[in-house]
Amino acid sequence: MEKEAGKIYAEGLAFFGKTNRLISHELKNILAIISETMGLLDELVELSESGMELTPARLRSMSDSIVEEVERANAVIRCMNTFAHSVDEWVRDIDLGAAISLAIQLVRLDPFSKAVKIEFSENDSHVIFTSPFILENLLYHTFHYALSAADHDKLISVALLAVDDGIEIEISGIAPGGFESFPSRQVALLAKAVGAEISSDTSAGKCHIVLAKKLTGGAAEALPVNL
Amino acid sequence: MKLLLVDDEEKFVSRLAERLALRGFDAAWATTADEALAKVGAEKYDIAVLDVKMPSMSGIDLKNRIAQITPGIKFIFITGHGSEQDYDTVCREAVCCIIKPFKIEALVEIIEQALNT
Repeated sequence: MEKEAGKIYAEGLAFFGKTNRLISHELKNILAIISETMGLLDELVELSESGMELTPARLRSMSDSIVEEVERANAVIRCMNTFAHSVDEWVRDIDLGAAISLAIQLVRLDPFSKAVKIEFSENDSHVIFTSPFILENLLYHTFHYALSAADHDKLISVALLAVDDGIEIEISGIAPGGFESFPSRQVALLAKAVGAEISSDTSAGKCHIVLAKKLTGGAAEALPVNL
Repeated sequence: MKLLLVDDEEKFVSRLAERLALRGFDAAWATTADEALAKVGAEKYDIAVLDVKMPSMSGIDLKNRIAQITPGIKFIFITGHGSEQDYDTVCREAVCCIIKPFKIEALVEIIEQALNT
């Protein structure tokens, strides 16, 4: 159990590092857009001073685009902040829908993921008692896998369903041959830590993760209550 | 002298191309690897400025595909990753690598260096 806990910590650190890299990459992209827009604006103004036409519509379009990028950066920073709070308490009550939305936002930061759409339809609120950080790690890697194994429609759908023994996350849109390496050892380890059961329906292109409403054993007992 | 700029951030790549055009460069741009390959198939470029990380194909894979179509073309990589390891890896594949955000004068200098190597 001690060895397993060590592996979970190591996975957690790697996950934290990866998300930091993705966030810094996204922010640098945003800064680059703002920098090029400002640079172009400056040059166009200079040219207009020597007689070149610069329309209000062009100015407006560039100023709108700077506002959009500031909003995009703000959304990334909000996501980073929410994610950073996932280590505040090792286990606690969490809104599963919010956890899924955060994991989707994190996975969308990876440039590879932009080739596939991912949609999440949240109906009711489902609160579970679990380890928010390990759950985020599990969801991130599951969505990452699903996006890389998406079928020809290039659309991954995520839904939440209440089942007898907990809450089920259904992920659909995976190619029939896409389950060969799922769950990976990493995903299986994280699933075990939060007491999640993973199953796949290859012909329907779906996988299911069932989470207990209250985690007992696993991460709740094997790891410190608070870091 | 023709430049091809490839980056999945359209606003970034289109504005960079416009700024380079204001400096006298003939700069075309693309936001996907497929679009870039189509442009390279249709016209001869002297330099390709490629984003390292793109959705459907990595910048390094795209570089290898472009090099097959246009032997002798020079490559410059653009990356949002600031780590030394990433920088060294991509620098081995190109004339130079430049980290976002950058001053356009720095890119112009690298383009001129690339043309003289």
